[in-house]
Amino acid sequence: MNVTDMIFPRARIPYGTWGSSYFPAWQSSPLAEVNIGQFAGEAFGRILGLRKVPAEALEYLITASTIPWHWKFWNSPLAASCLGHRIPGYHVEQACATGLQATVLGAAQVESGAHDVVGVLTFDRTSDSPAGIFPERRAYRRTEVISDVWDNFGFDPATGNAMITAAGKVARKYKLDRNEVDDIAYCRYQQYHEAQASGFLQRVLVPLELLDVRGKSMGMIDADVGVGRPTRESLRAMRELDTCVTSGTQTHAADGMAALLVTTPEKARELSARPEIDIRFVAKVEVRTGPSLMPEAPTLAVKKLLERTGISLSDIPILKTHNPFAVNDAVFAQELRHDWQNMNRTGCSLVWGHPQGPTLMRLLIEGVEEAVDRGGGHVLLFGCAAGDVGIAALLSVEEGGKR
Amino acid sequence: MTALSMRPSTLETFGLGTVHEIFKRGTLPVNAEHAVEQVFGKASDRGSLVISGASGIVGAGKTMQLAARLLPFGVPVIALDFPGAPDGIGKHYPGLADSFGPEQASRIMQGIIRLSYDGKHLPPQLAQMKPRFLLEAIPEILEAKKAHYGIFKSAFPEIEIRSVTSGFPSSELGVGIAHPAFPHHINKVWEIAPPKGSDITTLLWSLGMIPIPVGDRWSFVLDVLFCGVTLAALRYHQATGMPYWKIDKCVRKLVGPNPLRAHDAIGAKGADFLTWSCLHHLQKQYGDLFESTADLVERKESGQEWYPPDHFRPLVNWSLAGAEEDEFRVRILGPLLQMTALLLHEERAHLSQLNVIGELCAQFRRGVLAMIRGLGRDESLRIVKAYHALHPQAKGSWHPAAFERIETPAWQQLYVNAEHDGQVGVIAISRESYNGDVDAELSRAIDWLKREKIDRVIVSGDFHLSTQMVGADTSDFFPALGDKEVGSRISSGWSRTARRLHEEFRTSVGFINGKRCLGGMLELLMHCHALVATRGAVVGMPEVTLPVVPGMEGCHWPFRKADPSAWPQIVRMLLTGKTIMAEEAVGWLVDFAGPLEQSLAVAWKIATGGDHGIRLRSVEGRSLKERQKEVADIPPSEDPNIEAGRRAIMNCILESCSVPLAEALAVQARHSSDFMGSAPCRKGRIGQEFGKVMNV
Repeated sequence: MNVTDMIFPRARIPYGTWGSSYFPAWQSSPLAEVNIGQFAGEAFGRILGLRKVPAEALEYLITASTIPWHWKFWNSPLAASCLGHRIPGYHVEQACATGLQATVLGAAQVESGAHDVVGVLTFDRTSDSPAGIFPERRAYRRTEVISDVWDNFGFDPATGNAMITAAGKVARKYKLDRNEVDDIAYCRYQQYHEAQASGFLQRVLVPLELLDVRGKSMGMIDADVGVGRPTRESLRAMRELDTCVTSGTQTHAADGMAALLVTTPEKARELSARPEIDIRFVAKVEVRTGPSLMPEAPTLAVKKLLERTGISLSDIPILKTHNPFAVNDAVFAQELRHDWQNMNRTGCSLVWGHPQGPTLMRLLIEGVEEAVDRGGGHVLLFGCAAGDVGIAALLSVEEGGKR
Repeated sequence: MTALSMRPSTLETFGLGTVHEIFKRGTLPVNAEHAVEQVFGKASDRGSLVISGASGIVGAGKTMQLAARLLPFGVPVIALDFPGAPDGIGKHYPGLADSFGPEQASRIMQGIIRLSYDGKHLPPQLAQMKPRFLLEAIPEILEAKKAHYGIFKSAFPEIEIRSVTSGFPSSELGVGIAHPAFPHHINKVWEIAPPKGSDITTLLWSLGMIPIPVGDRWSFVLDVLFCGVTLAALRYHQATGMPYWKIDKCVRKLVGPNPLRAHDAIGAKGADFLTWSCLHHLQKQYGDLFESTADLVERKESGQEWYPPDHFRPLVNWSLAGAEEDEFRVRILGPLLQMTALLLHEERAHLSQLNVIGELCAQFRRGVLAMIRGLGRDESLRIVKAYHALHPQAKGSWHPAAFERIETPAWQQLYVNAEHDGQVGVIAISRESYNGDVDAELSRAIDWLKREKIDRVIVSGDFHLSTQMVGADTSDFFPALGDKEVGSRISSGWSRTARRLHEEFRTSVGFINGKRCLGGMLELLMHCHALVATRGAVVGMPEVTLPVVPGMEGCHWPFRKADPSAWPQIVRMLLTGKTIMAEEAVGWLVDFAGPLEQSLAVAWKIATGGDHGIRLRSVEGRSLKERQKEVADIPPSEDPNIEAGRRAIMNCILESCSVPLAEALAVQARHSSDFMGSAPCRKGRIGQEFGKVMNV
């Protein structure tokens, strides 16, 4: 593979047909009270309406989420009904890589010629985590109850460790400096608040009003509720939970959705309000690193991607990471000799939270919007996922022939 | 002298003359006994009514409605359907019992004879029942209908046949059409084609129905408007993706109906099929203005409801802001205006009738012509043009010239007509509730009579489109809930119009001829020098139950005309909202109440200055020295809003009666508008209705 190859030459993301909800922190908004699959379907319909894309244009729907939701069995067809257009589709999940993986699978659908316009809808509600009851004959109680969100965060069955343990372990492996990790976290908050103030995020995020069963308003989802404004001093003062990990240098659980379309070049020009913008899939890789070393996996994935495409990091103007721990970015900067200030310029999941399914999709949308602002260029997306997995993908954004 | 009129009476459209003639002759143009005899024969040889397809939605509803009305005349109603047809009649019984009481309901049911047939052979016992009138309500399959008529015609050559068809013209069917409106067991409107008088049309009118002659075209006025607004809603969904339920609410806010909810309520599969069928025929005749959307085509087969099921009540709201609202308005009003222009171009019906069908049958807040008149010709044309820019396929069948005559009396007097014979004028109101349109038209009618040098007038319902007078149209009050100036303008404006009846005529007679006269309509008529009612009519001032403070001088005018000994009755009426029979109010509110013909004669005598023997009451122009008091026997309401309404009404009574008549109008208007802006009113029925309809 080299830089001129595309993994899916026929697939495009039509500019501006996407949208994400705000990501309120778990238990902090009316989103904590809804069927998230229904919400996501309806919200996608609203986003398409705002973007002037007729729902009838969609031929197929890939839904992607990680936390069980009511009527999950009916997955994509049900979400499509909520969207207002009865189309087929399937459901995928890959923990925190879900948003990116689902998008890639959407491109594969288009590339295969199966469908020309594929909706990719990601969502999750971490609030009020559902509990699964499993027969477990080897357990002394013969039955195990798993709270889907928190019990999984706290226990990787393959290693026996918690996520946070992996972050501390990687910090020690790379001999990270707590001060630098705090500085990265501080920088990320600054970047987010600057993007917010500039109006950039309003192009990506769609305010949505939620209704109760009587049709009365439960309130607006119009803010990333829970995002604070920590100072360097307050970050430094935080208690270390594991090496270089504090509550300020790790993400928080959130609720939300994000959606986009993947389609053919012709359809992309037809559906987009700015048909001159061409968004293509260049490459995608995944790696799996050693036990409980998840925060280093994204770095390894990027190394692999650069190696396979032959492209240099200096040729990629936009870098967006799913960084549940600031440790992730510190390792990346150290290993690839990259200035950590020169990435995640419009915010990242460390700051605005992590609803899992839609996290990497929001990052993708933000990254592409940032590339368009810069007149085009490559967008590198990467992040970690449960199981010590790293994922990285490269998109190219051209604006009227300008890259 | 033959009566002159501002525009033709609607009764004239099926040969029943004018309202003026009813008063002048002191009798209705035809009575029910006579009309029944004309159709079913004399009592000694009375024939029967057959309703085929009687188990269907239309057939069952009409079976109940007609059986109830024909019971006093001994006309058997034969409900005919296939043996396996699910029972559509029995389920109406609870409603019938609620309306008429169990005994009368049972008698009505006893008058319904259910017979089965196989579609080819009529049941042998039918001949013994002497069928004289067949109302056909079988499925919309042209050949099946024609074959059905053939069977009946060959067995009963003299039988009158009317089809309830929802789309075929009479010229295709070969029989006349009496097309009823939903809900069929209570809606009194029937579109009649071809548009001419007949014994059947007269029969329907004499039984208290509202026959409306319409042009013999594919699909009827109601269907064009209702299917048209449904199609507009679906096209908006197609264009924007807004969910059906939300579009439905926005349509209701804009024009009144919930077309998609209505389809679900009627039964999605059947209703969707009928709408599709109507549009299908219309598209063939008039082009793509009426082209069905793909979702309608799909749902006529699947029967899926437009609203989500209860377990999927919508979560994400949609709003219309700025340009979106403009586009919505264009996409809904554009086709509606264009379709109305088509109906006008084809001269489908008398304009008042064409206008009122949407209000009486499809919940339009204002009739379509009143709406267009309010928009004005230029704005209406602009909207249709803007619609064509968004949906160019609809450009065919556009008749902009139909709006050219908007300034003529036929357009300007949709709800109020005036007639006179050189001596006595009759103002006939064709709307059950009083609103801004009625007020403006009433003023123009008074102006016309004054120009015609008429100083004696009778004000009445129109004996046709308005079968009762229910008071003010409270949707007109919506803007006043948040703006006292608007409330004051409505109250004082309407009161000034009402006062013209008192001040600008030598004699004015208010005539209550329907089932009831309430609230604003009663306030209007009480301004006449005399108030005459038919026995059994109900009168009352239910404003307190909403609650609102009466705005058309109801808090002082009746006191100024009544002996103080009757004041407690007036206070009770105002503070309880309870109604009374007109005959119970004689002497203190009503001047005469009697059988219809006697009341017509009395009204005419009073108007003409004849010897009527009634002592007419004058209006006290000075402040009333004696003060009204609270009436002790009114139990307190558990509803604090009603209690607040009572206090406000009592305050209004006290203050408006304590000033001279010249000042009282302003006092009443102030009380009325102040209360409309208050929390108890906003929490009451008008406020709740406003919230439900307008806050979407």
